[in-house]
Amino acid sequence: MPIIEFHDVHKWFGPLHVLNGIDLKVDEGEVVVVIGPSGSGKSTLIRTIDRLEPIQRGSLVVDGMPVHDPKADVNALRRRVGMVFQQFNLFPHLTAVENIMLAPRKVKGLNAAASRKRAQELLAKVGIPEKADQLPVRLSGGQQQRVAIARALAMDPKIMLFDEPTSALDAEMIREVLDVMRQLAQEGMTMVVVTHEIGFAREASDRVVFMDAGRIIEDSPTGEFFAGAREERARQFLSKVIHH
Amino acid sequence: MPDLGVRASVCARGGRKDLTMPGAIMFEFPDLFFTGLFLTVQLSVLGSIGALAAGTLIALFRISPIPPLRWVGVAYVEFFRNTPLLVQLFFLFLGLGALGFRFWTTDTFESIFRAGAAGMALYHGAYVAEVIRGGLLGVDKGQIEAARSLGLSYVQTLRYVQLPQTFRATIPPLGNIGIALIKNTSLASTIGVAELLQAAEIVESRTFRTEEAFGAVVLLYLVLTIPASLGVNWLERRLLVAR
Repeated sequence: MPIIEFHDVHKWFGPLHVLNGIDLKVDEGEVVVVIGPSGSGKSTLIRTIDRLEPIQRGSLVVDGMPVHDPKADVNALRRRVGMVFQQFNLFPHLTAVENIMLAPRKVKGLNAAASRKRAQELLAKVGIPEKADQLPVRLSGGQQQRVAIARALAMDPKIMLFDEPTSALDAEMIREVLDVMRQLAQEGMTMVVVTHEIGFAREASDRVVFMDAGRIIEDSPTGEFFAGAREERARQFLSKVIHH
Repeated sequence: MPDLGVRASVCARGGRKDLTMPGAIMFEFPDLFFTGLFLTVQLSVLGSIGALAAGTLIALFRISPIPPLRWVGVAYVEFFRNTPLLVQLFFLFLGLGALGFRFWTTDTFESIFRAGAAGMALYHGAYVAEVIRGGLLGVDKGQIEAARSLGLSYVQTLRYVQLPQTFRATIPPLGNIGIALIKNTSLASTIGVAELLQAAEIVESRTFRTEEAFGAVVLLYLVLTIPASLGVNWLERRLLVAR
């Protein structure tokens, strides 16, 4: 039973056909990596799952909820789906722990003590318990992104979406973020990850989806994909990103 | 020369040699000056709170996804920003008074005071609205997306993410408006609020000690505005969010 199901999804930005007939299923507990050249629609694809981008045609059902339906309770959907962004997007006026506590308190109605305790646990999980009371500006990029992951996890989501989570990071910080993501994958979290980190895709994902020009060109189990992508465009892309 | 009479009266009492310490006259007429000062403070405080509340609400209207709210916001700002405060005060007290509206009080002095405070709040609210709107639009879109992706509603995102940052970031321009408001309360003297300026006018007409009376008002305004400026600077240092 898939937890995310795209069926013939289309989206346009003006005349640009960014999603052109997407069919994709993600099962519970699966880790799917989406790769492809820039402008191929990967980010848009992942953002539609959380309805940060509306779709114009087709159906998209996430955890039983019809996301394409304008009447769907979008806040209820988003409580079950965590999102991690390229630019971290921490709230700069709140400390690390307050960033994590905000949604559990205001959306779930948890009290301050319980949400703080949970936030501390999550900070420990992502490896920076000592940064709890720091404002984001005092944290490195890698630390900020780990706080952002903890913030998303605080809502106990069933699905985690990662939109190029390491693209804004310096090389030495990419690893600490990927380590947290690997751990999540091992714990059985359902994850959809847009990334250029081929190493992460190879080690941690179950499936690789290759997109180009708004279409899914190839959707293969990770082992097969790296052993030899069926599609010429995917092979070309791989050879470029691996030997850059 | 038309002001010869005044000069003559000053000279008759011995001219400038008689001048006391600047501001000393306020202690000769403490009732007038300090009651006036107190009314100025009241007008300033109530006016500022009202302006902040009105301005925040109108700013929220202006960025609202609901078009009629946006129209109300635009109409408010354009109306109150494009008419003189003095005229608004006359309209609020005399105009509405002629229509029978006296700000829910039968006491004339109270009614005048409320008209004055309302004028301060409404007029400066238009400027506050523009500053707050700018601040709200200045909050990074990514943060709003992050908040929404966590399940916070539109209103919760405004309340917990956008507004707190906006208030911090707009302290300097809001402080400017607050200080302008303190000074503009002097216009309320024209509709009969016995604030500082009017107190000085009364003293001046009783004593003809023109420069002393108005000199004292200048000093008392500075006593209000300079600490206000310092307070704004202090708040700015304390609360401005580093990015």
